[in-house]
Amino acid sequence: MITVKDLKKNFEDTEVLKGISYEVGKGEKIVVVGPSGSGKSTFLRCLTLLEMPTSGKIFLEDQEITDPKTDINKIRQQMGMVFQHFNLFNNLTIMDNITLAPVKLGLMKKEEAKENALQLLNRVNLPEKADSYPAQLSGGQKQRIAIVRSLAMNPKVMLFDEPTSALDPEMVGEVLAVMKELAESGMTMIVVTHEMAFAKEVANKVLFVDQGIIMEENTPEEFFDHPKSPRLQDFLSRVL
Amino acid sequence: MRSMTEWWADVVAKFVAAFITKDRWRLYLNGLGLTMEIAFFAGIIGIILGIIIALCRLSRSRNGGKTFLSVIAGIYIDVIRGTPSVLQLLIMWFIIMKNTTNSVLVASLAFGINSGAYVAEIFRAGILAVDPGQTEAGRSVGLSKSQTMLYIVLPQAIKNALPPICNEFITLIKETAIVGYVGLSDLTRVANQITSRTYEAFMPLIGAAVIYFVVIKILTMLLGILERRLRKSDNR
Repeated sequence: MITVKDLKKNFEDTEVLKGISYEVGKGEKIVVVGPSGSGKSTFLRCLTLLEMPTSGKIFLEDQEITDPKTDINKIRQQMGMVFQHFNLFNNLTIMDNITLAPVKLGLMKKEEAKENALQLLNRVNLPEKADSYPAQLSGGQKQRIAIVRSLAMNPKVMLFDEPTSALDPEMVGEVLAVMKELAESGMTMIVVTHEMAFAKEVANKVLFVDQGIIMEENTPEEFFDHPKSPRLQDFLSRVL
Repeated sequence: MRSMTEWWADVVAKFVAAFITKDRWRLYLNGLGLTMEIAFFAGIIGIILGIIIALCRLSRSRNGGKTFLSVIAGIYIDVIRGTPSVLQLLIMWFIIMKNTTNSVLVASLAFGINSGAYVAEIFRAGILAVDPGQTEAGRSVGLSKSQTMLYIVLPQAIKNALPPICNEFITLIKETAIVGYVGLSDLTRVANQITSRTYEAFMPLIGAAVIYFVVIKILTMLLGILERRLRKSDNR
């Protein structure tokens, strides 16, 4: 589904990603963990070119994302992105937040998009918020809406950039529940997170990104119970 | 006691000479009309031009460098801010549009082009004040740069920019007082002309000042209401 080949990213003189290669299969749930500053968020943001890679190639199925001739807007329609700070459109109601892209990009008629949005809102138990504005919602509600906004585009893959890191502890559960349900529905997901319990439960593979490379990758059982590299052992001893 | 009566009679006579004789109040009214007409059209030109210039100025090429349009917009803002508005008006009047007979059009254009530079900087600040996360989210759902700007960033930027824009419009109303330089009879020039006819400066000049003040005070109050209403929608 997504193929990454020798991805490198520099910010001025700092080498943040030093060559990452990885392949994500259809329906796989990949959880990326690592210390702060390891490059895990940059890796995720490179996948939809929110950060322009310095070198390397990224493919979504057979389309090369990093090819300058590729229409990145078309690619992004197929890849949902959920941010740490939700980034709901402050000037629009929840309904308009969800329907704006499908309608303006000509994928759905207004009525059809609204119906679809209501179904999605029901799925996350927030149908009564359709006419509210983002400022009226709690953090957990905002993040569930942000997930729904991405789903409204029927993406092939969903990317999550620390989706629960900005939430109050009592709201983390409701967002993770939505993500679990999404995982069970067969969505391909790449999740950058600090929620180790979520990784254990949902991931097919866990990646440990440190110092700009994938230092270790394994199934959740092996990853958490038998970490190989000393850095991962050290990291796990501090977060678990 | 007698001197008090005399003083009062003098005040009344001066008032009559300044405002009543030969229906002179009509001149002030026409002058105010011209002032507001020029300010209104110049304001509209300024806002439209300002948005366009702000967008040009913020435009960036794929590798993050300034575009040609951005450079042009920067030069325009520099030139307008770096020269006196009276001079800009004179240049527009006597050089660029010397064959145009519609004097209100010429004045509106001169003031509009001047105001546009300041409005552009206000809008630029308003756009930059919108959280970059809003743009990232817009681009992430597949909207193009211009769609993201139009549907998400600009509406929020305009709300940010509204108070300083209103301020700029009030400045504009007062700045039109220099159209007397090219012979248009706005409120200020009317007051000045009547002074030279009655040889008495107090009543016409103070009178004109009061008229400006009242008009702008009313406008400020209306804008205050508008602003409060907009802010209310923030914590709906």
